[in-house]
Amino acid sequence: MELFRKRNRSSQTIAEEFVQKVENEARSNLIRVYAPITLLVGMTIFFSIYDSHFFSLKNILNILQQMAVPLILATGLSFVLLIGRIDLSVEGVMGFVGSFMALLILNDRNANDFGFWGVLIPIAIGIFYGLITGILHVKLRIASFIITFATGTIIKGIAILLYDSRAARVQEQWMTDWSMMSFLGIPLITWIAVAFFLVCSIILNYTAFGRAVYAIGDNEAAARASGINVERVTVKAFVISSTAAALAGFVALIRLKFGQASLGDDQMFPCITALVIGGASLSGGRGGTLQTIVGILIYMELLNFLTIIGVDANYKKALQGIIIIVAVALTLSRGRKTIAK
Amino acid sequence: MSSEALFTTHDIGKVYGTNTVLQDINIRVWPGEIVGLIGENGAGKSTLLKIIAGVEEPSMGTMQMNGQNFRAGSMLNANESGIGMVFQEQSLINNLTVAQNIFLGREKQFSKGNFIIWSKMNAAARNVLNAMGLEDISEKAKVRDLSFAMRQMVEIAKVFDIVSAASNNHALILLDEPTTVLSDEEMVVLFDKIRQMKQRGNAIIFISHRLQEVLEITDRIYVFKDGKLTAEVETQHADEAILYEKMVGRETNSEYFVSDRQTVPAQEAVLEVKDLSMFGSFKNVSFNLYKGEVLGLCGVEGSGKEDVCAVLCGDQAKTHGAIKVHQRKVDFKSPSDARDVGIISVPKNRREDGIIDILSLAENISVANYQKNAVYRLISNKNQRENAKHWVRSLGIRCSSVNQRIINLSGGNAQKVIFARVLDSECPILVLDHPTRGVDVGAKGDIYALIRSITEKGGSVLLMGDTLDESLGLSSRILVMKDGMICGEFDCPADNKPEQVDIVRLML
Repeated sequence: MELFRKRNRSSQTIAEEFVQKVENEARSNLIRVYAPITLLVGMTIFFSIYDSHFFSLKNILNILQQMAVPLILATGLSFVLLIGRIDLSVEGVMGFVGSFMALLILNDRNANDFGFWGVLIPIAIGIFYGLITGILHVKLRIASFIITFATGTIIKGIAILLYDSRAARVQEQWMTDWSMMSFLGIPLITWIAVAFFLVCSIILNYTAFGRAVYAIGDNEAAARASGINVERVTVKAFVISSTAAALAGFVALIRLKFGQASLGDDQMFPCITALVIGGASLSGGRGGTLQTIVGILIYMELLNFLTIIGVDANYKKALQGIIIIVAVALTLSRGRKTIAK
Repeated sequence: MSSEALFTTHDIGKVYGTNTVLQDINIRVWPGEIVGLIGENGAGKSTLLKIIAGVEEPSMGTMQMNGQNFRAGSMLNANESGIGMVFQEQSLINNLTVAQNIFLGREKQFSKGNFIIWSKMNAAARNVLNAMGLEDISEKAKVRDLSFAMRQMVEIAKVFDIVSAASNNHALILLDEPTTVLSDEEMVVLFDKIRQMKQRGNAIIFISHRLQEVLEITDRIYVFKDGKLTAEVETQHADEAILYEKMVGRETNSEYFVSDRQTVPAQEAVLEVKDLSMFGSFKNVSFNLYKGEVLGLCGVEGSGKEDVCAVLCGDQAKTHGAIKVHQRKVDFKSPSDARDVGIISVPKNRREDGIIDILSLAENISVANYQKNAVYRLISNKNQRENAKHWVRSLGIRCSSVNQRIINLSGGNAQKVIFARVLDSECPILVLDHPTRGVDVGAKGDIYALIRSITEKGGSVLLMGDTLDESLGLSSRILVMKDGMICGEFDCPADNKPEQVDIVRLML
C-alpha cells in the first residue's frame, strides 16, 4: 500500500497528500487501540496451550488475587497519566497507610484498638496527602515527577519512623477473616479492587471532570480556553491517585497482615508498565478504563506464566524494564527536534 | 443594515517590547455584515482578531460591542459577550467525541447530579450539527477520526453555538483562514452557512489569503499593511487588481536595502536542489543557488516555503528528491550534519531556536563551533572572548562586555550575535529565515549591509524576508511558492526590480 502510494505521488496535490497524512494517522490510532486487546487474547490462548495449568480455575483465582493491589494503583495512576503527569508518591502513601493502620488497630506492638476508625484515619490522611501534593504541584509549578518523588520520600520516612524497624502484626479478627473471605469464589480484596475500578470508570466516563481530564491531556491550552479549571482538575487527579494508594495500603495489609513501611515498595512501576502496555501514553491524553484493565491483565498473565514455567524472579524484574522500554517506544509520540525530558 | 454598529475598535494597537505589530486600528462592523481582512503575512490581521477574541490584550485603544465598552480579558468573557473565534490552528480536543467537544466546559446543562447524561448531550449536539447542515458528521465520532475539513466545520459549529446562545443572533464570529484545508465543495457548504448566519443578523470577520473567496463572500474589505489599516473598500466596487494594488502599498527606496552593493551572482551553483519533496507539505521543488547570490523565497504562510528551508537546514526530513552542495550529492539528517556540508541557518524564532539565553554573548557565538577556539580539544575561554570581541567590533554589536548574558541584549543586537555565530562557522550557504523579525530599524539597516558583505565575499543566501518589500529589495532572484510548488521566478537586478503586484498575484 505504502509503496503504491509513493509511486503515485506525482499525481497528487499537496492538499491531497495532507488529507492522506491525516488518514494515515487515524489508521495508526486504530492499531494503537486494538493491538493491546489482540495481544491479550493471543497471549491467553498461547499460554493456555503451552501449559495446561495456566487456564485452570486455581490459577485464574490466583491471578485474580494477585491483581487486586496493581488494579487499584493502576486505576488511580491512570488519571494522573491521562493529564500527562506522573505520581511517584503512591508507594510512599501506600506504605504509610498500611503501616500506620497496623499500629492503630489491634496489634502486637502497642495497646491501640481503634477498630474501624483505625482504618479510616490512615486512609483519610493518605487522601489528604494527595491533595497537598497536587496543590504543591500546581501552585509551585514544580514538575510532577520531582514534587511527587519528594512528597513520596517524606511520607515514607514518616512511616519508617512510626513502625520503628519492627513490623506490627495485625491481630484484628475481622481483618484476618476478610483475607479469607470470598464471593463467587473470588477473593474479597479482588472485589474491593473491582469496585474501586468501576467507580473510577464512572467518574472518568460520565462526569465533566472525566472529560476535562482527557481534554487537559490532549491540549492543555485549548482546555483552559474552554473554561476548564486546569489547576483544580489536576489536583483532583492527584487526589484520586492518592486515594488509590491509600486503598491499596489497606488491601495489602489485609493480604499480608504485617504493617511495614516497605509495603508499597516496587508496586508503582509494574502498574505504569501495565498502563503503557494497555495503551496509555506517558505524555497524556491516551488511556482510560479499557486500557487500564487490558494492561493489568496482560501484565498479570505474563508474570504468572513466567512463574509457572519457572523463570527466576530477578529475570522477571529485568524483563519488566525491557517491557516498559519497548511499550513506551511503540506508543510515545515523539517530536523529532527535542528528546523528551 | 441597522444604523447602529455591532462592534467597533478605536485606535487599537499592539506592541511587543520595542516592536509595534499593530497601530491605530479603527474598524466598524455592522450587524448582518461580512467583513474581510486582507494583507501580507505579519500585517497584523491575526493579531487584531486575537485581541478582539480575548486571546491577546491590546496595548492601547478601546473596543465597543453593542454600543458598550468591551474588554475581553479572556476568551470566555468574549464568548459571553457574543464574540467567538475559529482559529487557524484547530483547537479541538482530538481524543474526545464531537459532542463532547462542542459542549466542553458547558457540560452542566446535561448533568443530573454530577453525572452527564450522554444521550441528552448527544441529542443537543445533533441539533447543533444539523442546524449547520452537517448531517454526515456523527456526534459520537472521535474528533481524531474526522477529516481536517470536518474538524474545521465542527469547530465553526461549536463556536457558533457558544456565541449564539449568548447573543441572540447578534454575534460576532471571527474566522482566521477557515478555508485553507477545505475542498471546493466543502467551501460552498461553509459559505452557505456563513451567509445563513449573516441573514439572521450576526456579523462575521473573515481572513483569507484567497482573494476570490474574499470577493465572493464579503460585503466590505479592510486592507492591512505592516500593522496598519491602509484601505477600506466596498466589495462591490473591488476586484482582484484593485486589492493587489492596495495590499502592496508604497515601495521602500533602494538605498534602504543597500542596493548599490547588490552583487551579480557567479555562474557557479553552490546548492542544487532537485525534485525536493516533503509528503504533505511541498513537492518537486527544484532550484539552484549561485555563488554570491541572495535568492528570495516568497509565498504565503503554508505555501511550503517554511518546510523547504527546514529541510535544507536539516531540521526536517525530506521524503523525496536530491540536494547537491558544490556538485556533490549530500544527505543530512540534522542541522549539525547540514552545517558539516556547509549550510547553516538563522532561525525565525530567535527566542526559541536562536539564542541560548543562560549563556554569555561570547559563548553564544562559539556554540556552533567550539573546536575553533579550543586548545587540545579543551575550550579556551580566552580565545572565545577574543573571537567574540572581533565579532562585536566588526558587526557593531552593542553590549557592556562579551561576558554579558545574551538575554539582556536588545532584539537587534541579539540577532547580530546569531549572525556572528553563523559567520563564525564559515559556511558558504546561509538560510536566513526572517532575519529582521523583531529587530529595530537601525539594526535592520546593519543586517542588510551585513548580507551585502556576505555575498560580496562569495557567500550565498537563501532568504525568507520578513516582508515582501524586504525580499524584493535584498534578493538577486525571487522564487514564488504556492500550495507546495514553485509557481514563478523573477530576476531582481539592482536597477530593475519587479513589481510587488506581480509577485503577490502569483502568491495568492
